[in-house]
Amino acid sequence: MTAAAFLPWLIVAMIIVAAIQIGRRVMLWRQGRPAAVDWIAGLKALPRRYLVDVHHVVDRDRSASRMHVPTAGGLVLASGLLVLGLIPALAASHLYWALVALSFMVMTAGVVLETQRRYPRALPRLSLGRWQRLPVYLGVFAVCGLLTTVLAALGNPLPVLSLLLFFPTAAAGLALAATTATGPMRHALAGATHLVAHPRPQRFDPEAAKGEATGLRPLDLDAEKLGTETPADFAWNRLLAFDACVQCGRCEAACPAFAAGQPLSPKHLIADLAAASGGGHARAYAGQPYPNERATGGAAGAHTAIVSPEGLVHPDTLWSCTTCRACVEECPMMIEHVDAIVDLRRFQTLERGAVPMKAEEPLAHYRGCDEPNGRPLFERTDFAAGLSLPRIVEKGEAEVLLWLGQAAYDLRGQRTLKALIQTLNAAGVDFAVLGGQERDCGDLARRLGDEATFQRLARANVETLSRYRFGRILTADPHALHVIRNEYPAFGGAYKVVHHTAFLAELVESGRLAPASLAGRTITYHDPCYLGRYNGEVEAPRALLDALGLERREMARSGKRSMCCGGGGGAPSADVPGDTRIPDIRMGQVKETGAKTVAVACPQCTAMLEGVTGERPEVKDVAELLWEAIEAGRRKPAGAAAARELEPA
Amino acid sequence: MKTVVLLSDARNPVSGRAQLSRLEAQAIGLAAELDESPQGLHVGPGEEGVSAGLGHGLCGLDVIEAPEGEDPLPALAAFLATSLKSDEPPALVLCGRRGEGGLDTGLVPYLLAEALGLPILADAVALRPGEASDTLVVDQAMAKGARRRVTIRLPAIVTVHPLAPPPLPFAFGRMRRGEIRRHAADVSEVPVDVDAGERPHRARPKLMRTAGTASGGANLHVGPDPEEAARLILAYLEDNGIRRYGQG
Repeated sequence: MTAAAFLPWLIVAMIIVAAIQIGRRVMLWRQGRPAAVDWIAGLKALPRRYLVDVHHVVDRDRSASRMHVPTAGGLVLASGLLVLGLIPALAASHLYWALVALSFMVMTAGVVLETQRRYPRALPRLSLGRWQRLPVYLGVFAVCGLLTTVLAALGNPLPVLSLLLFFPTAAAGLALAATTATGPMRHALAGATHLVAHPRPQRFDPEAAKGEATGLRPLDLDAEKLGTETPADFAWNRLLAFDACVQCGRCEAACPAFAAGQPLSPKHLIADLAAASGGGHARAYAGQPYPNERATGGAAGAHTAIVSPEGLVHPDTLWSCTTCRACVEECPMMIEHVDAIVDLRRFQTLERGAVPMKAEEPLAHYRGCDEPNGRPLFERTDFAAGLSLPRIVEKGEAEVLLWLGQAAYDLRGQRTLKALIQTLNAAGVDFAVLGGQERDCGDLARRLGDEATFQRLARANVETLSRYRFGRILTADPHALHVIRNEYPAFGGAYKVVHHTAFLAELVESGRLAPASLAGRTITYHDPCYLGRYNGEVEAPRALLDALGLERREMARSGKRSMCCGGGGGAPSADVPGDTRIPDIRMGQVKETGAKTVAVACPQCTAMLEGVTGERPEVKDVAELLWEAIEAGRRKPAGAAAARELEPA
Repeated sequence: MKTVVLLSDARNPVSGRAQLSRLEAQAIGLAAELDESPQGLHVGPGEEGVSAGLGHGLCGLDVIEAPEGEDPLPALAAFLATSLKSDEPPALVLCGRRGEGGLDTGLVPYLLAEALGLPILADAVALRPGEASDTLVVDQAMAKGARRRVTIRLPAIVTVHPLAPPPLPFAFGRMRRGEIRRHAADVSEVPVDVDAGERPHRARPKLMRTAGTASGGANLHVGPDPEEAARLILAYLEDNGIRRYGQG
């Protein structure tokens, strides 16, 4: 009997230990609320979700994918082959042991690559502690397993050495199996199950529009408890999702609130939520702490409030989030951080009224007069005095319904809207506005957790819109776009909604507008989260800017991986203090490109970026740039030399 | 201490929609410190607007149904008179200063006090139970930021000043759980003289110089005879041109 002959039994023992440990975790998931899961479709889609969707995200960090493929592949292959070794005929074959040795060798190569990421010093976003020790266990298991099986393949020339090597293999293997309850290895099964039972299966559908997988779900306002207070209030597959976290910290590196020193780290939050149902962290959390961490009591349990000064998560952590979804976009385990945050916010707002002090005012205005700024609805079109702005109530129908949004009340936003309206008139578009019948879309209320107000506004707006006939809704506000396009269908209103950048790009492409070239200016484009990440629209605004002949420079973070301006999710209303401001960080990234102008496409981004003090690039909406080009085209006859900038005499 | 908060028919100044008056929301906040389950009382066509009081901390709300524009006073007086005679009479009735957007005379608390024979104290910013039973210590807001601490015997009517602490935040879940009890108006019991009368507006002199918060000086009279006190007050008002004899 050789030492290698024990290896199959070791794998069986590891599987039993892991099964017991996972069983303990499954018991915790079962405390969550039921969720409708299409298991068959999920299982069918699993290989594709893992090999395409997950790999696509993991592969953004090449060192991670290069490390993970051989490590996990080698481990699974070696374990699988070793279980087959229970068949005596196979166990007698030298070729078989050579194959097992080969898979251990692949795994060893992976562990070497993993070690390079962590030793001598780990990447700052990675967690230490048990995660830092994981490659040690994996390494001992792989190397000792390799040597044992190599000796077996050679006919077991050194039985004593072989036996001596078996013991560390067994110790490391059992240690790995033991961490499947609360430690690092639980990500394997939880991650795979999460891919099968994912709460948002649409996000894996390459055919579906991106917005379908990003809109928030309506809350049943007649439910016993509104929102999520304790871990048991989460759906079970949400609890499962928290366990899938590998603490790679990509979310943390992308989080604007974390960068600004506000007390939020998506990784820490997910780790806290995963720990909450089991009664707290089994071992101390070993990642970077929440910046400017607020002290909490640390009480945890399946039926203990998560967000409270006594609980595991401080309210400031919850209210720091801008709902920009950068964490969700970066997460290789497909965790939906923003959904969890909104669920927790809903409980705070609806059941406890515990919104940040400054956020109470817009919510009260919403209840009183349907506008977060407390302005009368009929004043919405006041800014357009002197412009031709038809109302749909007079026309009855229009090709395009222009949704003005909150920008109409803001002096800066009005400049953008004026440029847009003038452009529409110049192109002869048949458009109209709702005027005094347009209520706020309810985005701010919903992100602040006030689902009751949101649903009331959504129903009222859908009712108003149903009275008129129009082809499409056009808006310059990506927040309104997202809410009306993706969140109103749940309230009976399905509309074609188009963002002004896409609409204007269409007009330019079809030749209905003839903008002059603005060549000679450098520009960079800041993607609004609710347009780029939420709705996947990153090309139209760029096409439009390119059509204007502008020299476009891209920031390091752009497109779907763009950084938030800090204006979403009610974060400016919550106003949780940090070390710096998010728009200052973003403006720093704009400056790095050397562009003299930053093009924006969202009134929130405009306001946040214009709020940056000191010398900085000019902030211009895409619509303003286009109108500038159209006016430049009118001033000079066709074919004349490009207009020069006016110089002071 | 059983507390009832009177809720008026307030209108949002921007949208004109029925809403809870902020001052009454503040009154609910004060009530919640004294009573675990403060109750609201409203006379009007429905609970639209005032039901928000449940979200701000009321536990129950009595709505006496009356047509729009109807004087709420007889119904209020009748309802409170009945509950004052009940086994668990309210010890304290809190109200705002006046309606907002309805018929805002600002007289309801006073006429109600008169009808029920209860003492009334205006402009409370803080309330706490007194040391002796059935008493209440009220911090009263006065001009120029001054405060006066007054102890009154309960039951009483107290109006709330806008400088009282901000209202408890609104919570939809609390509003949903609060109990709303609807009653038909029953006005037969307590007759109330609601004819406050109307007079044409007359400009009054500003009181900047004479009105002070400092009590004391030549005008301080401690424990005067009521007749004498009334004479002194009338003399003061006439001296300062606030009241001209016989012209109101």
